[in-house]
Amino acid sequence: MAIASDYSGAPDWFGQLANTFKRRAFRSPSDTLTSVFIFGLMLYMAWLLLDWAILSAVWRAEDVGQCAEAGGACWSVIAARHRLILFGLYPFDLHWRSTLACVAIIVTVVLSCLPHFWSTSKLVTLWIVGFGTYVLLMDGTLLGQPQVTTDQWGGLALTLFMFSSVVLLGMPMGLLLALARRSNLPVVRGAASLLIDFIRSLPLLTTLFAAAVVIPLLLPDWLNGDKIWRVIIGFALFFACYQAEVFRGGFQAIPKGQFEAGKALGLTAFQILSRIIMPQVFRHALPSTINMVVVTFKETAIVIIIGFFDVLASANAAFGTVEWAPYYIEVYAFVGAIYWIFIFSLSQYGEYLKRRMSVAKR
Amino acid sequence: MATNIAKIACAVAFAAGVAAPVAAYSKSATVTAIEERGTLLCSGHNGSYFGFVEVNDKNEWKGLDIDMCRALTTAILGDPEKAQIVPLSWAQRFPALQSGDVDVIIKATGWTMGRDTEVGLQFSLPYFFGGTQFMAHGDLGITEAKELDGGTICVEAGTTIERLAGNYLKTIGVEHTMVSYEKASELRAAYLANRCDAFAAWGPFLAVLRATELEKPDAHIILSDQLSNEPIAAAMRQGDEEFVDMVNWMIAALLIAEEEGVTSANVEEMTENPPNPKIARLLGVDPGMGERLGIRDTWAREMIAAVGNFGEIYNRNLGEGSPYKLERGLNNLWSHGGVLYAPILD
Repeated sequence: MAIASDYSGAPDWFGQLANTFKRRAFRSPSDTLTSVFIFGLMLYMAWLLLDWAILSAVWRAEDVGQCAEAGGACWSVIAARHRLILFGLYPFDLHWRSTLACVAIIVTVVLSCLPHFWSTSKLVTLWIVGFGTYVLLMDGTLLGQPQVTTDQWGGLALTLFMFSSVVLLGMPMGLLLALARRSNLPVVRGAASLLIDFIRSLPLLTTLFAAAVVIPLLLPDWLNGDKIWRVIIGFALFFACYQAEVFRGGFQAIPKGQFEAGKALGLTAFQILSRIIMPQVFRHALPSTINMVVVTFKETAIVIIIGFFDVLASANAAFGTVEWAPYYIEVYAFVGAIYWIFIFSLSQYGEYLKRRMSVAKR
Repeated sequence: MATNIAKIACAVAFAAGVAAPVAAYSKSATVTAIEERGTLLCSGHNGSYFGFVEVNDKNEWKGLDIDMCRALTTAILGDPEKAQIVPLSWAQRFPALQSGDVDVIIKATGWTMGRDTEVGLQFSLPYFFGGTQFMAHGDLGITEAKELDGGTICVEAGTTIERLAGNYLKTIGVEHTMVSYEKASELRAAYLANRCDAFAAWGPFLAVLRATELEKPDAHIILSDQLSNEPIAAAMRQGDEEFVDMVNWMIAALLIAEEEGVTSANVEEMTENPPNPKIARLLGVDPGMGERLGIRDTWAREMIAAVGNFGEIYNRNLGEGSPYKLERGLNNLWSHGGVLYAPILD
């Protein structure tokens, strides 16, 4: 009866929702009982969370004394220690430099995601400018600023830099490896397969540990370079080997006839690859690629083991003193939120790319 | 501007120090490398290790081990700011030392036979002893394990601590009931719920627990008994005995300074008017202190002025002046009932 009365007016959004709700959740007395119980529980938990995170929370660093009584979250720890979490051991007075460097990296990554910049020359210029700006700002020597050596780089600034360097270096390396693995020359094909299978058989941790610790024991000093570059190259190689297999999947999805048709039209091997094959490979490989990128962002946290002060390590340090030790949950919640923002943006961008590329299929 | 002048002054003082005659004694290759580089590479931690390696609100390192590293840096380079702390994980510290990423490991590292032989390290004099201790409720009004007679002791099940505590209490003739728990968190909860009078664990861990996790730190007392011991020392690469001498005498100078009552506050006064020949030698008023290590004669004076003597370092980071309030116990000078002692300064 109640449903019938709803038809008298214009079908409104709220009414429809209420109807669906009624139909799905309150169909029979037992359904009603279960629903009331579950919704009640959810509301109660939401209330607890709200109360903890906002209503009973202490916000200002000076008020840390009230934290024990307040019973809610003690965000004072974030107020007092967020600069440590964001920038690690970077000298306190020079944080404007690391802030600008972070902005440079984020702008570089965002710009390279825009279709307008998708040409080799534009991308290469953008990356050289973006990463150059980051290194100039962080190091400071060439700007006439006090030098900050790489062992003091840290926090979110380091995580973002490592992540974007690994992906931007690893992606072309992965493509080259995938192409080498499809090569007609047995030596090139064999070497690429061997490298890919070798690196993929090692845990990431082993690769990074070797790059950070073992390589300097083997190489002469002048070849060593800074630890951070060795680790980025090692990590990028690891990424490239996995990404090469993702690309290989993309190649294998393309019917052989397309190569033959290209040859029949008199196109060169490069033209066939760049005009016909690659665009399709990218489309096929896109979902797994997004997955790889997201996983890589999370895996950067592993560099804590080889002594880098990434965002998670500096979070550990942030609650690693007596006055802040009880508030580790707040620190982890803050770091979790940082990861969530970046990874959620990445996956949303992936969705956008999928929509954009599906145009070709229509 | 002021810092620039200070830098120049420092560089001049440093150059003068290097230029001083170093004739007959061979100088450590590591020290020479440190001087050429202008920084000393020390081990930090990838995070925090309570009381030993921490990061303060200004993103600067602090802690007992950091202060020891700053002391060594001041001894060699004349400026504590020239210490460069390299964050290292526990697993990475020895390979990092071997590959030259750090000059020395000062990182709560215990001196073991394996590390001394197989890993190829050299250890300095121990500067800290950490061992199993008891913590008891403050309202019992006790300070020693002897007074625990008839009490209940909680321990973590299946650890060496369980056996150690049992043996110790039996040896000193204390009747007790031992209750063991599977996990550290259960142990803590049981202790807080007054299920036991005391519980046994690694001393520094107890101190941290008392300072951080328990609601009223002063309601608990860490008893003075040490049930076991692990000597904590600085670790160096094998093959540079002169550098081992350097680190040993850095630690020795900190201990001698405490023994003789030389502090960061009175070091200038003592230099102007040394109360005895030992202090005159220590502070570089009489020559010999630096010459024999191939560095400046005034290194110990500068070091004490910068970081204080060992007692000051301890109190600032772990003792009365810190939130941990860890008793000195074994980590006191031999003349105050501890086991720390310096070799003879002649």
